[in-house]
Amino acid sequence: MCALDELNPREISVLLRGESEKIAAWTGQWSARRFALQVVVIVVGAGLYGAAMGWWRDPQQALYVAVKFPLIILLTTAGTALLNAMLAPLLGLNIPFRQSFSAILMSFVIAAAILGAFSPLLAFMVWNTPPISAAAASAPAYNFIKLTHVAVIAFAGITGNARLFQLLTQLGGGRTGARRVLFAWLAGNLFLGSQLSWILRPFIGSPSLPVEFFRATALHGNFYENVFHSLLQIFQQFD
Amino acid sequence: MIPASGPRPLGDEPAERAAIPNVIVAIEAILRQPRRVIFQLRQPGAGRLIAAMVFVSVVCSLIYGVVAGTFSGGTQLWAAPVKIAVGLMISALICLPSLYIFTCLGGSQARLIEVGGLLAGLLMLMTILLIGFAPVAWIFSQSTESLAWMGTLHLIFWFIATCFGLRFLEAGFSHSNAKSLAGFRTWVVIFMLVALQMTTALRPILGTSETFLPTEKKFFLSHWSDCLKSSDSESKSRSRD
Repeated sequence: MCALDELNPREISVLLRGESEKIAAWTGQWSARRFALQVVVIVVGAGLYGAAMGWWRDPQQALYVAVKFPLIILLTTAGTALLNAMLAPLLGLNIPFRQSFSAILMSFVIAAAILGAFSPLLAFMVWNTPPISAAAASAPAYNFIKLTHVAVIAFAGITGNARLFQLLTQLGGGRTGARRVLFAWLAGNLFLGSQLSWILRPFIGSPSLPVEFFRATALHGNFYENVFHSLLQIFQQFD
Repeated sequence: MIPASGPRPLGDEPAERAAIPNVIVAIEAILRQPRRVIFQLRQPGAGRLIAAMVFVSVVCSLIYGVVAGTFSGGTQLWAAPVKIAVGLMISALICLPSLYIFTCLGGSQARLIEVGGLLAGLLMLMTILLIGFAPVAWIFSQSTESLAWMGTLHLIFWFIATCFGLRFLEAGFSHSNAKSLAGFRTWVVIFMLVALQMTTALRPILGTSETFLPTEKKFFLSHWSDCLKSSDSESKSRSRD
């Protein structure tokens, strides 16, 4: 029987409820079936949300963002896995690589499930919004959609991390150790995740630019450099 | 000052007394059971463990060096790893005598081989953490054009890794009956300055040059200032284009 046939979607509700004891036991033993389920939830949940995000610009953009959104989550998890596994014992939580990887993946699964659940709402909102155009880019609708995305993604991220904190406490870090490890992991994931998002832009898509998977300048510059230059430009205006 | 009660004695748990037979166990132990490494460094035959830790440090710094070299590519793919590994080892060798003197002045009973072992532990922990940072550094190397920015990023990674390494070293000294850590803290400043100056003495590590080693002597702050100025003028000329 194929691993996907044995997937148990009830495990997702256990994750969402934050049943730390059960989740801690899952992280202790490797299961290809559970790993496959988690990847499927990330691909479907974040993919659906990405599609709703890109749909406002163009159906093709929806397809691109549906691929890119889960990709960012999976690449961030993989890219920081080694570092996070090293930081955990150094900051007081003595768990093996498999367990730290599994814990982080589960927090992303929770976030992806929340994003997936919000995707029909976002799609409905986009459907009710006038089509995106160069003129509309500065209109209240554009700003409203952007702020809604920020609110939903922040809610998903905060919930995922709140559950991760409970799990880390359960795994034996105590509240202080769990907080230290959580902040270190968050810092690493945010640092790499921001850059990956920068490379894989656009997401909502600008009406004045063509629909494309990568911008031609995807690998020119980085997120933080751009933020720094933007800040410089703001301050230069006051000179 | 170290508290009068002192830390928990080494080897009071059976796991800490277990031998460290190979490099994989050494890596695991320094991350999860640093007290085991410190305990083993005090046992007869600690030389093998020290050699293993130095070996891991060299291999890890070579790997991280290749990642750093991908920023410029070409000859830097081999020059950067060689310079990082050699620079790190020379910095440690230069600083070892002063570390021993400072620890003795602080009242520590640690022997020279033990101090050398703790320093090797610092290097190993630092370089394996750098390997953890390597995927992140590689992503940025592929998408960043600014030399100053990449240099800053590598320095931040190095600083974080060094802080963890120094924490291990401090834990080691707290078990050596040292009465004060003031000398050790002075040495930390010296070690940081030597390592930073090494990056300038062996430049370029990230950028390119016609010669393998620099022809002009510079202090690292003046080198950084020059790099920032050239990066700023490049970005201004780009924004005019």
